[in-house]
Amino acid sequence: MNQQEGYADDIVKGFVIWSMVWGLVAVLVGVFISFQIAFPQLNFPPYLTYGRLRPIHTNAGIFGWGIGSFMAFFIYITQRLTRTSLWSPGLAKVQLWLFNVVIALAAVTLAMGMNRSKEYAELEWPVASLVVVLWVIFAVNIVMTIVKRREEQMYISLWYILATLVGVAVLYLVNNAAIPVSLTKSYSAYAGANDANVQWWYGHNAVAMVLTTPPLAIFYYFLPKATGVPIYSHRMGVVAFWSLIFMYLWTGAHHLLWTPVPDWVQTLAMGFSVMLIAPSWAAVFNGYFSMNGQWHQMRENYLVKFLIFGITFYGMQTLQGPSQAVRTFSAFIHYTDWVPGHVHMGTLGWVSLVLFAAIYYTVPRLYHTEVYSVPLANVHFWLVLTGQLIFSITMWIAGVQQAAMLNATNPDGSLHYSFIETMVELYPYWHMRALGGVIYLAGLLVFLYNIYQTIAGGKAQAAAQRA
Amino acid sequence: MDSASIYYLGVTLLLFLVFAAIVARTYSRKQKAKGEQPKYRMMDDDYPSDEKKGGRDVRRK
Ligand code: HEM
Repeated sequence: MNQQEGYADDIVKGFVIWSMVWGLVAVLVGVFISFQIAFPQLNFPPYLTYGRLRPIHTNAGIFGWGIGSFMAFFIYITQRLTRTSLWSPGLAKVQLWLFNVVIALAAVTLAMGMNRSKEYAELEWPVASLVVVLWVIFAVNIVMTIVKRREEQMYISLWYILATLVGVAVLYLVNNAAIPVSLTKSYSAYAGANDANVQWWYGHNAVAMVLTTPPLAIFYYFLPKATGVPIYSHRMGVVAFWSLIFMYLWTGAHHLLWTPVPDWVQTLAMGFSVMLIAPSWAAVFNGYFSMNGQWHQMRENYLVKFLIFGITFYGMQTLQGPSQAVRTFSAFIHYTDWVPGHVHMGTLGWVSLVLFAAIYYTVPRLYHTEVYSVPLANVHFWLVLTGQLIFSITMWIAGVQQAAMLNATNPDGSLHYSFIETMVELYPYWHMRALGGVIYLAGLLVFLYNIYQTIAGGKAQAAAQRA
Repeated sequence: MDSASIYYLGVTLLLFLVFAAIVARTYSRKQKAKGEQPKYRMMDDDYPSDEKKGGRDVRRK
């Protein structure tokens, strides 16, 4: 524990460092699988095939990099917003170890081909059970810290944090309900269309409770901290929070349009998805209006650049998403490369940009030093932005081309192109996507170097002071 | 309408009313100052407000 400030910050350091390690793994594997698609001869069975590596990429990215850093910042933010030290730093240490064990086990078991075949819920029941223990430890610690808070009112970030803790617990337990038949194999407790419906109720709310509410909590905390100006409207934040919570849970079936899931369920999901634009954009406007009179900081303050571009990508994501949830548009782009374009604007653009800013803000404070190099942070920014845009834009174009080909028919109504013909046409886009990935990776390496040097500088200063 | 549909309709209306109540309360004139207070208080939260660690502050009612 950092005695001087009374906060348990050592544990935050641990989570930040490990989330960066897993983030690097996720991007390295991501770049490798993008090359595997562009050059299929790079598949080496059985372990190094696309099929085995893809879930390792998504698990390392969403759970290792995403959840790892959310754990860091939930602990950091909650203590500060409640003006209370963490309820149990000891429990948080156990949590850090368990977190790393779980992610490592996930990587090993997925490489061995143990997979429940449910997207974002691939882990077999022994590892999934450890995830439950991990989440309970985390949730209890944060909730108890909030319970013993010394601030009467809860700042909006705390609401998003609580929603994440409850939401993930409910989703994970329901979708992971399974009947084990051996240590390495289980079958879902649901069957057929019900199973699909539960899976995508989970899948889309993983987007909500992992890729939306935690980065929003972090954004609402770090934007005012970075600019030095309070958020535009706390009350708008609260109303947007509740409407987001009321709406998100109904939208999962937009992943299942044109399937045997009942029509009314699909229509409901479509309606709620379109309504989601309102709370999502309330957060975007809250961010933009907070910048009134402060836009010059986009030039002068690199943290603001990360945060405002991040919330802008969130805004674009939450216009594109509802469009994709409309039946006619879904019929066109579903099952095409358009979707990875959407996904990576969210994960690389929105989520990661906000996390980069939060790490740049906190690490120098945690180590009582200055960031090593602001010019390097700017290089990092432009590289990851360029890499991500190349990725998303090429995939959108690829998706439209593929969709047009898949939909093309002959005068007699038969399909004009076979599936494999559409694939062959996509090679140039896959090459460009791999290039985008390499540029993003370069940006990430610059970031890691900058943070490494910042930490090293902080430790050297601390040693000098002690001497 | 069967009883299940009436039940769903009831729950939907209830949720809607809860939401409407949250909006009305948040935006009520009485709540204005209090509702915006956290955004100012969070700006100076980098250090605990007193030396005692944990426990409720006297400011809490
Ligand atoms: C209003 C908000 C949003 C709506 C309505 C929405 C809608 C959708 C829809 C309809 C799909 C399925 C596309 C298809 O397969 O045809 C999708 C996929 C996806 N979206 Fe969004 N989206 C939203 C925001 C976001 C955000 C903020 C993220 C953050 C990263 C995100 C991440 C994803 C991911 C990861 C998938 C891929 C799921 C898969 O593996 O198939 N979305 N979204």
